[in-house]
Amino acid sequence: MEKLFQAIYGGILYGSIYGLMAIGLTLIWGSLRMLNLAHGSMYLVGGYVAWAALNQWALPALPSFALGVIAAALMGLIIQVLLINRILGRSEFFNAAMIATVGAAIVIDSAMLLIFGPRVKQMPPVFQGQFKFAGVVITYQGLLIVVVALISFALLWLFLSRSRHGLSIQAVSQQMDAARLMGIPTVTTFMIVMTISGALAGLAGVLLSSVFYLSPTAGFNPMVKALVVTIFGGLGSVKGTIWAAYVIGLVEAFLQVYFGAGAALPGLFLFMIVMLVIRPSGLFGLGEAQRL
Amino acid sequence: MLRVTDLQAGYGGSEVLHSLSLEVGEGEAVVVLGPNGHGKTTLLRAISGLIRPTAGTVEFDGQVISGMRASEIVAAGVIHIPQGDLPFPELTVMENLLMGAYRPEAWQERKRKMELVFELFPVLGERTSQLARSLSGGERRMLALGRGLMAKAKILMIDEPSLGLAPFLIENVYHAIQEINKNGMAILLVDENADHIEDLADRVYLLESGAVVKEGTVEDVFSDEALLAAYLG
Amino acid sequence: MMQDTAVQPSKSAGRRLDWAAGPWAKTNWITLSVVILVMLALPWAVSQLSIGRFILHLFILFFVWSIVAESWNLILGVGGIFSFAQIALFAIGGITTGALAKHLGWNPWISLWLAPITATIAALIIGLPSLRLRGPYVVLLTLAFAELVRNYHSQGPTWIAEGGYGLRYVPKLGFEELFGRPLDRIAYYYVAFVLFAIATYVIWRIFYSPIGTSFRALRDSETYAISRGVDPFRFKLLLFALSAFFTGLAGGFYVHYNGNQSPTILSFSVTITLLAGIVLGGWGTFWGPILGTGIMIVLPELLREVDVFRNMAVGVTLALLAVFAPGGLFPLIVDGVRKLVRPSRKLQEE
Repeated sequence: MEKLFQAIYGGILYGSIYGLMAIGLTLIWGSLRMLNLAHGSMYLVGGYVAWAALNQWALPALPSFALGVIAAALMGLIIQVLLINRILGRSEFFNAAMIATVGAAIVIDSAMLLIFGPRVKQMPPVFQGQFKFAGVVITYQGLLIVVVALISFALLWLFLSRSRHGLSIQAVSQQMDAARLMGIPTVTTFMIVMTISGALAGLAGVLLSSVFYLSPTAGFNPMVKALVVTIFGGLGSVKGTIWAAYVIGLVEAFLQVYFGAGAALPGLFLFMIVMLVIRPSGLFGLGEAQRL
Repeated sequence: MLRVTDLQAGYGGSEVLHSLSLEVGEGEAVVVLGPNGHGKTTLLRAISGLIRPTAGTVEFDGQVISGMRASEIVAAGVIHIPQGDLPFPELTVMENLLMGAYRPEAWQERKRKMELVFELFPVLGERTSQLARSLSGGERRMLALGRGLMAKAKILMIDEPSLGLAPFLIENVYHAIQEINKNGMAILLVDENADHIEDLADRVYLLESGAVVKEGTVEDVFSDEALLAAYLG
Repeated sequence: MMQDTAVQPSKSAGRRLDWAAGPWAKTNWITLSVVILVMLALPWAVSQLSIGRFILHLFILFFVWSIVAESWNLILGVGGIFSFAQIALFAIGGITTGALAKHLGWNPWISLWLAPITATIAALIIGLPSLRLRGPYVVLLTLAFAELVRNYHSQGPTWIAEGGYGLRYVPKLGFEELFGRPLDRIAYYYVAFVLFAIATYVIWRIFYSPIGTSFRALRDSETYAISRGVDPFRFKLLLFALSAFFTGLAGGFYVHYNGNQSPTILSFSVTITLLAGIVLGGWGTFWGPILGTGIMIVLPELLREVDVFRNMAVGVTLALLAVFAPGGLFPLIVDGVRKLVRPSRKLQEE
């Protein structure tokens, strides 16, 4: 029984992490139809700025984290304004956006290297310590991550489905010409999306840098997992991404607990192949228009 | 109210509209007839800002709107109800209508406006939480019109309201458009089909190859048998 | 130079294609011979310089990564398949020959030829399900596969992972003992060049074959391809196999040149850099990926002066190029050359 609870908790924890990392990518793909390869760098910016605020400017925890999130959000906005806005509407948009965001990622990662040096940094967890529940070891930091993730997802969903601007983001994703005809300013919408996406990536960076280490080269690899989750969830669907994150997290945790750490990745791979054979369009289907 | 002068527009280097001029007065219902491919949709898209005209001007209420961004043109009160409806497929009827009232001035009045829309199209009122993609053809058409009405419109430009609808539905749609016009709204309507425009149109333009070939009242145009025959085959 | 234009096979009776119209018949043999001679003579000339050895190293890198890039372009640009498994195939090739040579004492010259074979087998295993999936799901599958390989390489059994270091102390090709400096590097250069030449030639033939050409022109139009008697599935499988073959070979050579293979080669940033090179040079074109790869290798070196800001400058350059030359540099260059040539012709006609 203990193993079961361990697996469930692990799955929820992993799922929360993957969800936080992936959701920004989904938003961007949904509205801009591009792959933002600078996503990992915004994760880094969030983590590093928070670290600097905490360790170098001696700010308390909460403002430090907030600064990290804000910095990452600003970074997203800057990338949009400087680069993406210039290439919108071109026929080669997808390729150009891919390269432009790669370039931005390299610049940002190098800047982090320059400012903070190559040595790995670790953020102290907000809450130290752990407790046991039903035989499972639960760290307070882990609990924090889960809670923050769930709240973020809920807030995002509320924003997208209940507010004027949130709905307009969905509208732009689903039918851009009609959105323009309603007076929805598409360029502004894209900027909002990039900013939110940056903020979410930054939040993930802030929270996770206490679990994983911060290093200037750490930007690209979390993005791979995020990409996998995003695509698996059915590209462009926020709901799908969140589900995919938890499904993948749970599968991975179960494999780890019952078959050992080495079995996790191959098992996950097998699981994905099977899923794709049964449902070739991902968890929630790939439609041109997806409900965000 | 709306004045188009010598408008030229096209796609990727090929011009579709050639020196097109027309006018719509306050409260007028003007219909532009033309076969497919001759520029009806391009005309509306050029006015609403979805595409940028290459030459000529569009004036609305004394303001030059050609060259402005689509969102600004909407703010000026020019509302384009597009061909094929273009609903937001994964949003509900209610959410689609709300998006019609996106702009701040319209947003404030959204509740009142929505009631007006439901009066005109009761079917929509029955299906508020249904996803737009599951609506029937006629319901989608009504949704498109309703969405347009949610905005603070001074003129409604409607693209082929009869497209893909069964005849009795077409009648309903045109009847609704007439109601809207009777309440004082200026209408610029383009269509391929001249069957239902008699009661609606104050004036008619005939469009051919991107330019106006005849203008007049419904009687003027319909009495020119030769032209009509060549036109409507 | 060989012309980079899509050629429509002329329609003669039945299905007979006018092979004489294909671009291979239009090859400018003189230019090609000159280029080959220059490349062959280059190491001797360059060795006179003090940094000659390093320049040769750059060329070897260029040859190896160009093979990978043009092979990947075959899948991406011709097949239209968004596979992200390329680097994994490279690594599999390296692991195969490296492990055989190191742990089983095989002669590297022999084990080298197993590298492309295992890579091809792996590609076929991945390719078969991939070809049944649509766009982004191929990305998913191939990304997951690459992650899997990376995981094994860094945390797998000791004989390929060595606790995270990957394969180390792999026997090299033996030129060091045979020739000593500086000839050893020249020898590696020639081997790399030969591999590059063969791969490039084969890929060129495929690229400009009637099937390849129609595939490129009709990238999304499978139904048309089928109506012309082309079996898209088998052709794509062929592309996968060929692409893997050369990539695996390149990976095998690389591990014997370097003497090691680290799992960091499978990090996403390497894939991204490779992709950037392809897109930058002009994806879907023949010479574009090769040009782009060259740039991605050379650029960081050129900017070595500003060492601290070197990477940053690379990033900025990429971003600038994306904004101003999104179709890739190669089409831009071709256009530029044409524009230079045309005015004088016009004057001649008048």
